[in-house]
Amino acid sequence: MNTHTKYKHEALASGLVSAASTRWRFVLGLVTNRFCFVVLFIVTALLIAQYDPDSTAVAPPDRQEVVFWHFWGGRDRVVVEDVVRRFNDSQQEHFVRAIAMPGNNLDLKFFLSVAGGDPPDLLNQDDPVLADWAHRGLLMPLDEVADKATAEQIESWLFPPARRLGTYDGRLYGLCNGLDIRALYYDQTLLEEHELEPPETWEALNRINRVVSPPEQETIKQFGFLPDPRRLWAWGIVFGGQFYDETTGTVTADEVPVVGAMDWMRSFSKTYGADRVAAFRSGDQSLTGSASPLLQGRYAVVMDGQWRVREIVAAQDKARSSGNPVRQYGVAPLPSPPGGRENAGWVNGNFFVVPKGSRNPAGALAFMKFWSGFDGHEAEAAVTCAAGGWIPVSPHVVKQPSFERYLRGNPLFAKFVELAGSPNQVPWPVTPGATYFQREITRTCEDAMYRDDAPPSEVMLREAATRIRARLKERVAP
Amino acid sequence: MPRRKTVTALLFVSPWLVGLATLVLYPFAASLYWSFCRYDMVSDPQWIGTANYERLGDELLHGGQFAQALRNTCYYAGLSVPLSIVLGISLALMLSWKVRGQAIFRTLFFLPSVVPVVATAVLWTWLLDPTDGMVNHLLSAVGLPGGGWFNSHREVLSATDWSATISSLQSGRHALLPLGSKDALVLMSLWGVGNFMVIYLASIGDIPSQLYEAAELDGAGPLRRLRHVTLPMLSPVIFFNLVMGLIQAVQAFTQIYLVSDGQGGPAGSTMVLSLHLFLTAFKELDMGYASAMAWVLFVFVLLVTVALFRTSRHWVHYQGAAR
Repeated sequence: MNTHTKYKHEALASGLVSAASTRWRFVLGLVTNRFCFVVLFIVTALLIAQYDPDSTAVAPPDRQEVVFWHFWGGRDRVVVEDVVRRFNDSQQEHFVRAIAMPGNNLDLKFFLSVAGGDPPDLLNQDDPVLADWAHRGLLMPLDEVADKATAEQIESWLFPPARRLGTYDGRLYGLCNGLDIRALYYDQTLLEEHELEPPETWEALNRINRVVSPPEQETIKQFGFLPDPRRLWAWGIVFGGQFYDETTGTVTADEVPVVGAMDWMRSFSKTYGADRVAAFRSGDQSLTGSASPLLQGRYAVVMDGQWRVREIVAAQDKARSSGNPVRQYGVAPLPSPPGGRENAGWVNGNFFVVPKGSRNPAGALAFMKFWSGFDGHEAEAAVTCAAGGWIPVSPHVVKQPSFERYLRGNPLFAKFVELAGSPNQVPWPVTPGATYFQREITRTCEDAMYRDDAPPSEVMLREAATRIRARLKERVAP
Repeated sequence: MPRRKTVTALLFVSPWLVGLATLVLYPFAASLYWSFCRYDMVSDPQWIGTANYERLGDELLHGGQFAQALRNTCYYAGLSVPLSIVLGISLALMLSWKVRGQAIFRTLFFLPSVVPVVATAVLWTWLLDPTDGMVNHLLSAVGLPGGGWFNSHREVLSATDWSATISSLQSGRHALLPLGSKDALVLMSLWGVGNFMVIYLASIGDIPSQLYEAAELDGAGPLRRLRHVTLPMLSPVIFFNLVMGLIQAVQAFTQIYLVSDGQGGPAGSTMVLSLHLFLTAFKELDMGYASAMAWVLFVFVLLVTVALFRTSRHWVHYQGAAR
C-alpha cells in the first residue's frame, strides 16, 4: 500500500470513528482490543459448536440411540421424519436420530465413517453397492442382526424383487423399505386424438411413434416414444435376457435377447438421427412437476417410475380447479416382443443396511421392522407407504385395508403395485463391482444410440461383457 | 541465525508445518504407495506391484476409459486455455481504451467470474439446451442448425463430425452443428475469463508509455505496436496465465460433474481425468487404481509445465532482464 493510499484509508477510518456513536465506539474498542477479541472469538466458536439444528432429536437418558443416515429431502423428508417420530413414540427402549445427508456422496461419507471407526447404526441406500460392501465385510447380515429363523421369515415375507435387492451370496444383507418400479405412462387424450391404442402390446407401442412423430417431418416437437439408453437394463429383461446369472456368477450381458433389445433401442436413432434423438432427450429425467416431459406434451409415452403419479394427479387437479380440460393419463407395463417376458423390467429400491460396528443393531432391527412392516407392523408400514407414495415391499402390507383404500383412490399407482409381485422385475446384478457393471452397460448403450459410427450391438456388448468379467474377477479376488 | 531464533521461528511456523505434513505430504506419499496396491479404503492395502500402471497402459493402448478420459482432458485444455488467453487479452485491450463508462464495462466483464460455479453450470445448461435453449434459438435466427451441446458427443474440431453434418444438410435430413458437450464446457469456461482479464488489464496499465511513443516515432501503427510492444510486455503475464489455466483445466471437476450428472456422458464425452478418477476411487472403491491415475495426471501436468518453462525463454520477456 503506498503512503498516499495509507493516509487516505486512515483518514477515512478516523472519519468513520468520529462519526460513530458512543455505543459503536465501545463495540469497535472491544473488537480492536486483542484480549477482548480472543474472548469473543472463543465464545462465538463455542456457541457455534453447541448449536444443533436438530437439538430436539436427542435420545432420552433411558433409551438407546439409533443413528440413522438417509438421503431423503423435500416432501419425502417430512414423511421420513414422521415415521421416525411415530417409531420413537412407540418405543421404550430405542430412539432413532435421523440424519439427512446429500444422496450423491452418501457412500463416500459412509466409508470415511467406517475408516474413522464411527459408522452410523443404520443406513439407507439405493445404489448398487450392497454386494461390494457386504463382500468387504462392512455390513452385518440380517441373520446376525436378528437370527437365522427371523432372516428366513423376512425373506419369505418380501416381494421377490425386494428379496433380490437385499440378497448377496445367499444371505440377506439389506432390508428393502420401498420399491421403485418403471412402467409406461401414456397421454390417453393424445392417443385418442390420434385414434391409437394404449401401449399395452408390442405392436401398439411401435405404432405410436410412426403416427405421432413420423420421421419424415421436418421439425418434431412431440415424439411418440424414445427409449432412454440408461434403460437397457429394463428392455434387456423384457426381451427375455438377463445381464448376470446369479446362480453361476456369470456375466451374460452379451446374450442374444440383450443384443436384440439394444438393436431395437438403436433403431430409434437410425430412424430419426442420433443427434436428433440425443438433443430431444435433453433434461428429460431431471424435470419434475408440471415441467415433466409427459405433462409438457413432449411425448405421448414415457417410461418412468411411480413417483410421477402424484405429479399427474396434481396437474389434473390444477386443470380441474381452473376450469381447463383435464387430460387423461394411463399406465401400462412394458410390453414385450414375441419371446419376451410379461410384466418385466428393471427395478430398484431403497434398502436398509446395518454397518459392522453399529452400536445398536437391535434398535436398528426394531426400526427396520417398523418401517418395512415386518413382524406385526404391516398397518404402520401401510400408513408410511401411502403418505410417501411408496411401493410396499411385502404383499402383507399391500393387503392392509388402509393401503387398499389408497390404491382404490390412486388407480395409476395401483398398476405399479401390481408389478411389485412379478418375478420378472429384476434389479441390477447384486455382485461386487456392480457399480462398474451398471456404468459400463449404460455407457455402451449410450455409445450405440448416440454415435453414428458405433460398431454392431453384438460386438459392443461382447467387448463390454469382457471388460466387466475382468473387473468382476478382480473385485472378488481374495 | 542464532539457534534460539531458529527454534522460535520454527515454533511460529509449526502450525503450518504440521498442516503441510499431515494434509499434503502424507497424502502425497500415501497415494504413491497405494498406486502400487489394491486398496478399497476399508481393508488394508495389498501390494500388487505395477499392476495398476500396467492396466493404465493397457487401457491407453486399447482405447479404454482412461484413454477416453485423457483425450477428453487434452481436448478441453487444448481448446479452453488458448481461447481464454486470446479472449482475455482482447477484452483487456478493449477495456483499457479510455472511453465513457470504462469502469462499468470492466465491472460487467468481470462479473461472470464471481458467479459460483454451480450457478454458472445451471445457467449454461439452460442456455445451451438443444431444443429450448437461447443459444440454439439465436443460431436458428441466423439460419444455422444449432448444436447438441451437453447432449451431444460431437466435437467442433472433428473433421468426421463436420462431414457428417454437411452430408446430412446436403441430403435434406435433420442436422445439428458438431458442437458437443466439450465445446459447451469450453464456452462455459470462457464466460469466466474475467479473472485472467483483470491480470492482463493491470499489466497493460504498467507498460511504460515511452515504449509506445518510441514505436510511434518509428512509424509503427496500432497492429505493430500490439505485436512489438504490448504482447512482449504482456508475455510474463501470458505465461503465468497459461500455466495456471492449464492446471485449472486439467483439474476441472465441479462444472463437469454438474452438467453430466456425475456420469461423464453423453457417450463418455465429458469423462475427463478428474471425474474418472473420482468415480473410480469413490464409486467403484478402486483407490489403488485411482491413485495410479492421479500420479499419471500429476506427471503429465508436470511434464507439460516443464516443457512450457523450457520454451518460455524464447518468447517471455521480462522488463530489465538481460537477453
